[in-house]
Amino acid sequence: MKNKFLIFAVFLFFLGFSGTAFAQTEDELVEICGMIAKEATYLKDFKIRLDAGDPPPLQRFSVILKKDIKYRFSVCNSKDLEGKVILELFDNNRLIATTYVIATGKDFPSIDFICQKTGAYHLSFKFKDGKPGLAVGLLSLVETL
Amino acid sequence: MYYIPGLTMTRSLLFLLVVLAIGFSSCNSCKENKKLSKEFDIPDSLKEDNPIPISSAVIDNMIGNIASPIETAAVIKGLNIGFNKDLIAKTDYADNFNTNFHKALGLGMYGCDLGYLNMYGKTSLVIDYISTIRNLADGIQVGQFFDFSTLKRLATNNENIDSLVLISQQSMTRIDTYLRENNRSNLSIVIVAGVWIEGLYITSMVSQESGHKRMREAVGEQKEIINLLMPLLNHYKKDPNMAKLIKDFEGIKVLYHEVKITSEVGEPTAVEENGVLTIKSNDIQTIDISDETLAKIIDKVKEIRLKLLKG
Repeated sequence: MKNKFLIFAVFLFFLGFSGTAFAQTEDELVEICGMIAKEATYLKDFKIRLDAGDPPPLQRFSVILKKDIKYRFSVCNSKDLEGKVILELFDNNRLIATTYVIATGKDFPSIDFICQKTGAYHLSFKFKDGKPGLAVGLLSLVETL
Repeated sequence: MYYIPGLTMTRSLLFLLVVLAIGFSSCNSCKENKKLSKEFDIPDSLKEDNPIPISSAVIDNMIGNIASPIETAAVIKGLNIGFNKDLIAKTDYADNFNTNFHKALGLGMYGCDLGYLNMYGKTSLVIDYISTIRNLADGIQVGQFFDFSTLKRLATNNENIDSLVLISQQSMTRIDTYLRENNRSNLSIVIVAGVWIEGLYITSMVSQESGHKRMREAVGEQKEIINLLMPLLNHYKKDPNMAKLIKDFEGIKVLYHEVKITSEVGEPTAVEENGVLTIKSNDIQTIDISDETLAKIIDKVKEIRLKLLKG
C-alpha cells in the first residue's frame, strides 16, 4: 500500500515537472500529422486554433499548388479539445476537395489532390459542429506526374 | 532492507515533490522569458524606417508556399534530370550579404539551394550550405529556429534523407512564422523573394539545358507567381533596398506579358482506394511561351540573380 502511494507520488512529481508534456503542443501535432502523411514529403504546416461558434468559425490560408503534382493534405486533432477539424480546398470559390464527405459522413485523416493547374488555391479549416478545437493541417508532396 | 517511513513521511515526500515540480516548471518559464526578452533586444522596427507591417493573418493568406524549393526540385528530379552542382550559388557569395535585407535575401537563395541538394541527397555538399544559412539566420536574429545541429548530424552521417528534407523545411517555416509574428514581415517577404529568384534560376537553366517541355512550362507558369509576389514586395517599396529589388523583378515581370496562360475548368473526380481519397481536378491549363520569350526570361533571370549575389 505504502509502495503504491510512493509510486503515485513519483507519478505526480513527473506530472508536475513536465506538465506541458501532457497537453499536446502544435509541434507534436505536426509530427503526428507527418506520420499520417506517411512517405509524402513535408512542404508546409498550418496551425488551427478556433473557439466555439455558430456558424463554425473558419481559419483560412492560401497556397500555391503546381500543375502535375500529387499533393497530400493531412489533418490531426488535439486530444485536449473536442473539435474535429474539417479541411476544405477551394479554387476561387469552388470547393474541390474536403476531408469530410457530408454525403457519407466519412472523415479522412488525409486526402490526395492531383493538381492540373498552377495557381493560388485556398484552404479553409473549421471544427465540426462549431466546437472549440486545436488542430494541424499538413501539406505534403506525394509525387510528380 | 530499506523500508518506506510512515504515511506522514510519505505525505511529506509528496509535498516536497510537488513543491520541486512547481519550482522546476517556474525555472523553465524563467528561461523561456529570458530567451524571449533577449530575442526582442533589437527589434528591426526600431532600427529601420519600416512602413506599417502587413498583419500576419494577411500575409498568411497571401504568401502560402509562394516559392517552394522542394516542389521545384521534385519536378526536375521527377523528369529524371540529373543533379547539377553548377546551378546552385557558391557559398562564397554570402560574404557580400552585409545588411539585414541582403542576409534575408541570401537566406532565401541558399534555402532554395538546400532544398535542391536535399532532394538529390547530396549530403556532402549540404554541410557547407547549412553553415552558410545558419550564419545568415544568426545575422537577422533567427538562428535559433534553424536546427543546425540536427541537420549537420543527418548530413554528416548520411542519415535519413527524408528527415533532412523535413527538418530543413520546418526550420525555414519556423523562421518565416517567427518573422511574421514579430512584425518583421518585410524580411519574411525578402526571404520568399530569394527562394523564388533562385528557384526560377535553377528552373530556367534546367529548361535551357534539357529542352524538356515540362521545364519550359515550369518557367512559364512563374507568371502566376510573380503576379502574387510583386504586390507583397511593393508594400515595402519605401525601403531603398526593396525598391531596387522591385525594379529588378519588374524587368522579369514585363517579359512575362508575352507568356499566355489559359485554363479550362474541369469537374473534379474523387476515387477512394485503400482508404485514401484521391481527388483529380480535371482542369486543363495551357502555358504558351515562345522560344524568344523563354530565351529573354532566362537571360534576364541570370543577370538579376548574379547581380543579387554580388550584393
